[in-house]
Amino acid sequence: MAIPLNRLCAAILRIAVAAVFIYAGAVKIWNFKAGDWATQQFAGDLQNFQLTAYWTPIIVVAIYLPWVELAAGCALLLRRCELGALALLGVLAILFLGAMGSAWARGLDISCGCFGKENNATNFPLHISEDAALFVGIALLLWMRLPRGKSPDILTRSQS
Amino acid sequence: MPGSSRAKCVRLVIRQACAILAIALVPAAVSGGVQLKWRHEEPLAADEIRPAVARALGAEALFVDARTGQRYAQGHIAGALLLNNESWDDLVPKFLDAWDPDKKVVVYCDGGGCDAAEEIAGRMRRELQLHDVYVLKGGWPAWQSR
Repeated sequence: MAIPLNRLCAAILRIAVAAVFIYAGAVKIWNFKAGDWATQQFAGDLQNFQLTAYWTPIIVVAIYLPWVELAAGCALLLRRCELGALALLGVLAILFLGAMGSAWARGLDISCGCFGKENNATNFPLHISEDAALFVGIALLLWMRLPRGKSPDILTRSQS
Repeated sequence: MPGSSRAKCVRLVIRQACAILAIALVPAAVSGGVQLKWRHEEPLAADEIRPAVARALGAEALFVDARTGQRYAQGHIAGALLLNNESWDDLVPKFLDAWDPDKKVVVYCDGGGCDAAEEIAGRMRRELQLHDVYVLKGGWPAWQSR
């Protein structure tokens, strides 16, 4: 049985977005090369954004954010709580865009830590383009998944 | 989409998002707990110095800011001199005037992935034949927050 092209594209896009966030979350949790937690490295990268002078909120975000990325990525991949996952990932993409734009505007010479440890300073235009592309992908998926018209099947399916 | 369906949909999205946040909280709490024995201090490279140690040097340290002039103007360690790759030739004379063989030179940049401090420290050793040159661990953010 032939799969409609738009459904195939949506599936590819969903898997790609989920894979990006699963990878980004995983490498912020665990440094696979060093075989150790990557949280401290990520906390250092977050600190370099100079969004707050306090260490505690940085540590909390450094511990929690990667697991949110991982959980939302897995939810999207497995199509469980899909709308919630897309909404969360959309918010995260906007936050990343904001943080990146702010660091670029302030002329910071830092590693963004977006995908774990990076040896070079961040290429801001590249990372902002990546985040923007990710956001567009998420928005597209959300638009495709949101119920329209008179038969919001996703609502009835989710509540059954 | 009718109003009631839209409200249902919003509620569904919020409920699902909260469920994911709650699920993520469990492993985050466990991994955070495991890491409470946190090695707060990363090992130092041979030429690095921790902010607390640099602070304790007091007048025995000559701080050098390796960031851009704009970043330097926004804030820097008290008494630090600006010396970066962009304006090396213009700024070196001022640095040499302030340099004292009895002082340790501590170079810093924006911390983390920035290479400017390492590069300036390297140039000082190679081109100015200075030996007592250190890079501030964590750079300017670490100096501010600890």
